[in-house]
Amino acid sequence: MHKKIYKPLFTLLACLMAITLWAQPTGDTSKVEMADRFRADGKIYVVIAVLVTILLGLFIYVIRLDRKITKLEKDFNNK
Amino acid sequence: MIRQKWWKILCGVLLVYTFIAGFLGSVPAKPILNETIRNLYFHVAMWFAMMVLFTVSVIYSVRYLRTNNHKYDIYALEYTRGGIVFGILGFTTGSIWARWTWGAFWSSDPKQLGAVIALLIYLAYLVLRNSMTDMDKRARIGAVYNIFAFAMLMPTIWIIPRLMESLHPGGMGNPALDTHDIDARMRVVFWPGAVPGWTLLGVWITTLRIRLAILTEKKEDLHPAPNQARKLRNA
Amino acid sequence: MNSPYICGPKPGSISSAKHILTLFRKDLLLEIRQQYTFYGVLLYVASTIFVLYLSMGGPESTVWKGLFWMMQLFICVNAVAKSFLQEGKGRLLYFYTIAGPKDFILSKLLFNALLMILMSLVSLGLFVLMLGNPMPNPLSFVAISCLGGISLSLVFTFLAAIAARAQQNAALMAILGFPLIIPQLLLLSKISNIAFEDVLQGGLATMSAVLLGLDAMIIALSLILFPFLWKD
Repeated sequence: MHKKIYKPLFTLLACLMAITLWAQPTGDTSKVEMADRFRADGKIYVVIAVLVTILLGLFIYVIRLDRKITKLEKDFNNK
Repeated sequence: MIRQKWWKILCGVLLVYTFIAGFLGSVPAKPILNETIRNLYFHVAMWFAMMVLFTVSVIYSVRYLRTNNHKYDIYALEYTRGGIVFGILGFTTGSIWARWTWGAFWSSDPKQLGAVIALLIYLAYLVLRNSMTDMDKRARIGAVYNIFAFAMLMPTIWIIPRLMESLHPGGMGNPALDTHDIDARMRVVFWPGAVPGWTLLGVWITTLRIRLAILTEKKEDLHPAPNQARKLRNA
Repeated sequence: MNSPYICGPKPGSISSAKHILTLFRKDLLLEIRQQYTFYGVLLYVASTIFVLYLSMGGPESTVWKGLFWMMQLFICVNAVAKSFLQEGKGRLLYFYTIAGPKDFILSKLLFNALLMILMSLVSLGLFVLMLGNPMPNPLSFVAISCLGGISLSLVFTFLAAIAARAQQNAALMAILGFPLIIPQLLLLSKISNIAFEDVLQGGLATMSAVLLGLDAMIIALSLILFPFLWKD
């Protein structure tokens, strides 16, 4: 029953990404030092990979906790 | 609503979006802040989540006083606890950010002050609740204080920046973030991604705690072991 | 048809004003008879100011101002805490049944406000006497300290009611009250600049209005929330 729900959600994610791309700057001319070199090396993807892994790990943990509580509730109501 | 799946998935999607777009998207180049401006997606979102959780807690306190339904008291308490967790996270991350941009962990910035006041008020709420043992009394007095404190906190947050600014004439020399600093590139990550994402995560964890608290209470009704159960709940 | 209300005044505003006055008079009589708060707090103020005088002599005006408002805060906690904590549970229940919660809290707010005005004036006098007078406009500061006394007493009266219900403990009141009182103290110390500076900054009238608005909000909240506190 929940399969129906995934599709619009991932469409939403895709749309959000698209908006981000569309909202990119038209050229930053300021001389403020940013981590451009870091980005050019592609190392930023390493950071993102690490962070997203941690985030997903935490999500899986919370989801399992959620399931456990749901099971407890069911057990309780069947008693 | 509490057991539905869609908003939990939405929470995950939004946070993954925040993490990816938050690091890949480009940001305005500001002196001093440099790349740390990306902290906006994580640090400032903590405050939004905190305020939402506290507001929900007050709504449940009002509902408790109107209905005397014990369930609403558990809701109010757990939403407050969730708000405090996010508040502490927001405060700590703010200090770290401030240390490497403004130069000190604590710079008596009005926003920092407001945050500390909010945390003290809600920690006092927990102290107040723990000072009573009678459940009905604890719920009712806790709800009254929660409403009173929230009503006082709102003007505080509004008043303090106005007073502090006049204490330091010439406007703060520090590059504090305000809405003018955030341009469209950051807004599309912050508003649709970070704020609702972190808030939903807070609500999710809070609902888990609520369900656990209700289960504990039901179990206690079946097998009463008053001292031990009460200790567990207060821990 | 032989209800007493037919010929007498209608119940409602008139009788509630009477209740408030009666309860207020009761508090006043109790105070005059015991004289516990007044002399107790007076001694507290005098000894604290004397210690301050010994340790710093005549402080400069910003320190003077800060010390004054901190003193007011502690005086208020001490003076107001008594108003609920002194009465036993049975007596409070009795007042509640004869007068109703709204009249009761209003009479307490009124009494504590007047008590704090008196206490503020006394401590202001002692401050000027012992620590010197750094103000160019002392008269306006008299009015400001009255306003401050009222504002502080309103918040702490309601918190004393909460603390009295929770546990007969004045320390709890301080824990609950200190974070909540910060905006009022900040506002008051800004408004005090009227008395301390010859050149006035703008926006002080707005701040006074904000403070009065806060006071009105606290009274309204007390009226709404106090009945729930007292229900048993």
